[in-house]
Amino acid sequence: MMARFLPILAVAAALVLPLATSNTYFHHLLVLWMLYSLLALSLNIIVGYIGELSFGHAAFFGIGAYTAAILGMNFGFPGFPGLLMAGIVAGAFGFVIGYVALRIEGPQFVILTLGFGSIIFTTTNYWVDLTRGPMGISNIAPLGVGAGFELSSALDYYYLSLLLVVAFAYACHALMLSRTGRAFIAVRENAQLAASLGVDVFRTKLLAFVVATAVAGVAGAIFAHYLTVITPEVMSLNYMVAILIMVIVGGRGTIAGPILGALIYVGLLELLRATGALRMVIFAALLTVSVIFLPGGLVSLWRRFADRSTVRTARQAQVEAGE
Amino acid sequence: MEMELVLLTQQIMNGLVNGMTYVLIATGLTLVFGVLHIINFAHGEFYMLGAFFTFFAAKLLGLDYISAGIVATLGVAVLGILANRFFFWPLRKEHEFTVLLSSLGLALLLTNGGELIFGADPKYVASPFADGIVPLGPVIVTQQRMLIFAVGALVLVLLYLFIQKTRMGKMMRATAQNPEGAALTGVDIRRVYTVTFMVACGLAALAGALVGPTAMIFPTVGTWAVLKGFIVVVLGGLGSIPGALIGGLILGVVEALAGGYISMGFAQAIGFSIIIVVLLWRPNGLFGAARRA
Repeated sequence: MMARFLPILAVAAALVLPLATSNTYFHHLLVLWMLYSLLALSLNIIVGYIGELSFGHAAFFGIGAYTAAILGMNFGFPGFPGLLMAGIVAGAFGFVIGYVALRIEGPQFVILTLGFGSIIFTTTNYWVDLTRGPMGISNIAPLGVGAGFELSSALDYYYLSLLLVVAFAYACHALMLSRTGRAFIAVRENAQLAASLGVDVFRTKLLAFVVATAVAGVAGAIFAHYLTVITPEVMSLNYMVAILIMVIVGGRGTIAGPILGALIYVGLLELLRATGALRMVIFAALLTVSVIFLPGGLVSLWRRFADRSTVRTARQAQVEAGE
Repeated sequence: MEMELVLLTQQIMNGLVNGMTYVLIATGLTLVFGVLHIINFAHGEFYMLGAFFTFFAAKLLGLDYISAGIVATLGVAVLGILANRFFFWPLRKEHEFTVLLSSLGLALLLTNGGELIFGADPKYVASPFADGIVPLGPVIVTQQRMLIFAVGALVLVLLYLFIQKTRMGKMMRATAQNPEGAALTGVDIRRVYTVTFMVACGLAALAGALVGPTAMIFPTVGTWAVLKGFIVVVLGGLGSIPGALIGGLILGVVEALAGGYISMGFAQAIGFSIIIVVLLWRPNGLFGAARRA
């Protein structure tokens, strides 16, 4: 029973959380947490559900951010339809790259996505006419509908991204209960067996890849509008690694995992700010220790606890057998 | 000879030497993948450590360049044993993503630790061969670059003999084919892990010690090294040592030509463009065997 109310409680807590303080820096961190959650949830579809490791995900986040920025700056495109366009453009890139890369699996797929990501990063850096190169694009307009209604404070962006995270998390939950979701898991567990049962493996993977990249694009667009500045740095290897850390440290293949991972990432780096030069060293050490001692991610702690304290129902056993 | 042709020959020569660096980096990477099926993202950091250890062995212990390079290579090989003991061996039964993330954590740890200890400012490894010039017909190569090429070739031959002829090499090949089967026939898998990482990290460090005098070194250079290594390894075929040799030389030459005739910016991206094309044509690389089921 507890498990059923937990998501509702979590959403309620997230709704009142920013009211705890009027500190705008705290609100800023909350926005980052939500945007990274959306990004990590989208990567989780590839890493957690279809079981391929993509190193190019930050590139789609960047494509979304640049699409929104360029459409807004050069063509006066309004904010909210711009979000949609960012998703469509990122998804289109995802379709083309996925169409090429998903024919290959395992370690080669990892390197291939790393390659596509690096090419997009390099192109963004050098195509100065379109992207203004390493300088980036600044003075991006805030999200809004005309001049009357604009998202101006961090709080506004927090609630917008929270809404998207909740909607997308629910969509992931519904997906996993659907035929398509079961096809994803079947492909992850045993692609040949899935194919023999009539699952079109390539199409299933491509669908997952396009959905994931489109959502990453939307997250990127909000990020651009929120910060009002965007540089190629968001597509760099550091970001690619960061998203992967959120998904795997939190717990791949779960919904709470990536959101928790994003919280740990934002929160931990913030807490470690006081340690100065040691910050990244401590962060890396904690990351490695958590990977070595909790390979299933932080959510596996909860599962261990739940297993011990409650009698397993048949359904739980079924869920675990499915993993 | 015509000027154009001399320029072309010089570019190819430079490319081959750069390629040999890539070969040295990639050989260790492909060895770890081939024998243990691990993608080691921290491999480039051992290259970085090789260069820095050479620098500090020369500066603090007052060693000459060659002794400093040997001390650095041996030192990093010992670090490789420790890295295996704490970061890879305990995870041998875990999912490949977990192992990969553990190696990423190690990479972050070494880069940031390196920045803290060595300082972020670039350093220059002094070598008596850095300024000497060897004329080869119309083209010119520095002694240091000749040294890179010669040592690289020698090391590859030794590694080949080690893997083909020695008892340990046979145990490594058995582990590559089937770890459980190898363990059943009495192969000490733990020792295979240890030796593989020791050799791989030593090779990366040797590359760092050799390349150090031709370019500035800084603690983040490992990322560059591991990316080049991956391109070469995937190009040649994961786990294939001849593949690493051919792949590394191809990458070096293509980059030199692209940098010379198109633009330096393009040369950065060309490596990844090559592997995209090659992987679509041959998903397991030029020399790769089919993936184990």
